[in-house]
Amino acid sequence: MPVALLALWEMASRLALVSPRYFPAPTTIGAVLVDRLTAGDLGGALLVTLARLGLAFALAAVPGVLLGLLMGIARAFRAAVEPYVAFVFPVPKIALLPFLLIILGVGEPAFVLTGAASAFFQIVISTLGGVRTMDPRLLEVGHNYGAHGARLFWKVILPAALPAIFTGLRLGLGLALIALVAVEFIAAKSGLGHLVYRHWQMLSTPEMYAAFALVGALGLLLTRGLRALQARLLSWQEESF
Amino acid sequence: MPTPVPKVLVNEVSVTFESHRRSVLALDRISLQAHAGEFLCVVGPSGSGKSTLLRVLAGLLRQSAGEVRIEADHPGSPLTAMVFQEHALLPWRTVRDNVTFGLENRGVGRAEREARAREMLAMVGLTRFAAHYPHQLSGGMKQRVGIARALASDPEVLLMDEPLAALDAQTRTIMQEELLRIWAALGKTVVYVTHSLEEALLLGDRIVLLSARPGRVSRIYPVDLGRPRGLEVRASPAYGALLETIWARLREEVVRAMAEDRGPDPDRASA
Amino acid sequence: MRRFGRWLAEHSIAVGSPLVLLGAWEWASATGLLREAFFPRPSTIAVHLRQLGADGTLWGHLGATLVRIGWAFALAAVLGVGIGLAMGLWRGLREGLDPVFAVIYPIPSILFLPLVGFLVPPGEIAVVVTTAVTSFFLIAFTTTHGVRQIDRVVVEAATHYGARGWRLFTAVLLPGSLPSIFTGLRLGLGFALIVVVAVEIVSTSRGLGALLWLSWQILKVEDMYATFFVIALVGAVLYHGLAALQARLLPWVQDVADR
Ligand SMILES: Nc1ncnc2c1ncn2[C@@H]1O[C@H](COP(=O)(O)OP(=O)(O)O)[C@@H](O)[C@H]1O
Ligand SMILES: [Mg+2]
Repeated sequence: MPVALLALWEMASRLALVSPRYFPAPTTIGAVLVDRLTAGDLGGALLVTLARLGLAFALAAVPGVLLGLLMGIARAFRAAVEPYVAFVFPVPKIALLPFLLIILGVGEPAFVLTGAASAFFQIVISTLGGVRTMDPRLLEVGHNYGAHGARLFWKVILPAALPAIFTGLRLGLGLALIALVAVEFIAAKSGLGHLVYRHWQMLSTPEMYAAFALVGALGLLLTRGLRALQARLLSWQEESF
Repeated sequence: MPTPVPKVLVNEVSVTFESHRRSVLALDRISLQAHAGEFLCVVGPSGSGKSTLLRVLAGLLRQSAGEVRIEADHPGSPLTAMVFQEHALLPWRTVRDNVTFGLENRGVGRAEREARAREMLAMVGLTRFAAHYPHQLSGGMKQRVGIARALASDPEVLLMDEPLAALDAQTRTIMQEELLRIWAALGKTVVYVTHSLEEALLLGDRIVLLSARPGRVSRIYPVDLGRPRGLEVRASPAYGALLETIWARLREEVVRAMAEDRGPDPDRASA
Repeated sequence: MRRFGRWLAEHSIAVGSPLVLLGAWEWASATGLLREAFFPRPSTIAVHLRQLGADGTLWGHLGATLVRIGWAFALAAVLGVGIGLAMGLWRGLREGLDPVFAVIYPIPSILFLPLVGFLVPPGEIAVVVTTAVTSFFLIAFTTTHGVRQIDRVVVEAATHYGARGWRLFTAVLLPGSLPSIFTGLRLGLGFALIVVVAVEIVSTSRGLGALLWLSWQILKVEDMYATFFVIALVGAVLYHGLAALQARLLPWVQDVADR
């Protein structure tokens, strides 16, 4: 089916049924993609975006999981923190960008932190959900078999919350990618998002689509890869949406 | 005396499940009958095709061979109504609307539907819960709704697939007595699947024992324990004797089924 | 009054901690502990918010954003639910479209802006369509999932009690997938807000995103905070509003709060 669509597009473009200026043939785009990936700007931009994504994700994952677990375990702490999380969670994190830009200046820290903020709240919410919706019988079983305090946490609570944590990390990574590409599109002068923006402005459409396709491949690889990894690592878990 | 036409006639019925890799013979030339007003129990080990038989009777599944006939005495009534093991209520409908669902689909008017729902809910003791949603009810109450739904459509034959299997022991006992009361009041023909011999002996007029894979009729036992029957029947010697007889045969079937499930011992086979 | 007192006691931390935080922020900015250029006092921000509201600026931008979200969400919801249901019901369609969707869906929607601009008249329509893209996929996915996760025994029981064709659809398949559809609508609305703010930053002069960006470019820090507050409020109201609506419309779903 995707192949059929691509073939259709190829024909339409070659026969000039659609304007080849706006919709260049997939083979043209493919040629540009291969060409620029090794020699030109595409490969470099991919590395930049990947580096930002890795950094943003690392910055979000550790504190996000910790905060989520803490909120799940300590009631009073949750009561104090939950209103902020609930308030900020639905806010598009891209709106934080201008604040980070004035506080940190225009540069990598502001870009990366915007991506990290995007992932952070999702990870907190998922982790908290994992602890809170855990089967209370598991706690009782844990108690009965002599798990208390730290043991209870490591042996029962954490494993029970792990599937939700992993889902949070997966969703968080996706959100970070979305935020970072938007940041690159809007403000940064490098990365795949910026490349799409620049080639759009210059109307060099084959290059634009090549960068676009690369982002798509990256997104596909991350979502599919993490899903497979989750299935592999948490094999006791049932299929989840 | 002319022999009465059986209400339910199952003649040499076989069911084969074809999946792309292999085919499973679930029922092998089953023959049985139920008379009008009879409470017929079907017992057998897990996987002996009890549910399959009911689904054929309910018209949810076509048999691969053989003949099924249900005598229709009341024009306009559905032939069968099934009480499902996992209650199978529609979660988004209230208790009342679940009970009237079948009538609604048949185009019965609102006033009559409501009246019928009231009657049936009173019969199963759920009048106060008419406006509740299934998730607000206990397991036993959900199963009562399933029974009320089946009764509301006033079928020729009532089919029940292990309706009490998921309930706790006390609730199950109470429900068994209620079933006897309802059956006595309505005089319906019932085909009742259970894996509990005790339950079959308490409820049934006859017990059909199925053998394990492929499902065949192993034997049919009449239950001559008198009517009306209550829990006290369990203390009678006749009950004990019959239980012992059928159980000996059922145990053979279960052991055989388990041995087949285990298959040839892989360690042995390789040695 | 008594009930309010009890509510207040139970939620004292939840109500108190933001107040304490705002107080601390006010104090820290006033005493210079926080740089007021970056962290203006909450009271100053409130004054600016009132000004933006009083001279009508805020309402114009808010209105523009809400109209765009409204159209985009409606577009995504109608197409997403429609196609999602069809994919849930017909296997051939599902197997045909799934791979296409899987490839397009993870692409951050802002990147669709140029592409959409080639396809439809640039301007409002392009903004709305771009905003709708990711929401559409999310809603289609969750709707398909909703149809497919309906208990087969329930469907069989409904068929047994005489529900066929259209009736089976309206009485069983549709209500059965509604909880999942609602989850999709909620996620979709959230994504629509993300995308619309990003698109407004890049390509429009009206809307909350544009106001936020403009305030940054001319360094009106108080207006930035005020706008951010309004965006957050819109997000919270949309998100929690739809959750409340779901609880209201789907009373048979037990755990709306946990979803
Ligand atoms: N839809 C189906 N497809 C394939 N095999 C089935 C199907 N339904 C039942 N079977 C098989 O048919 C046999 C009888 O099943 P069932 O009627 O459910 O037994 P019971 O209700 O007595 O436990 C079992 O071996 C089961 O695996
Ligand atoms: Mg069964």
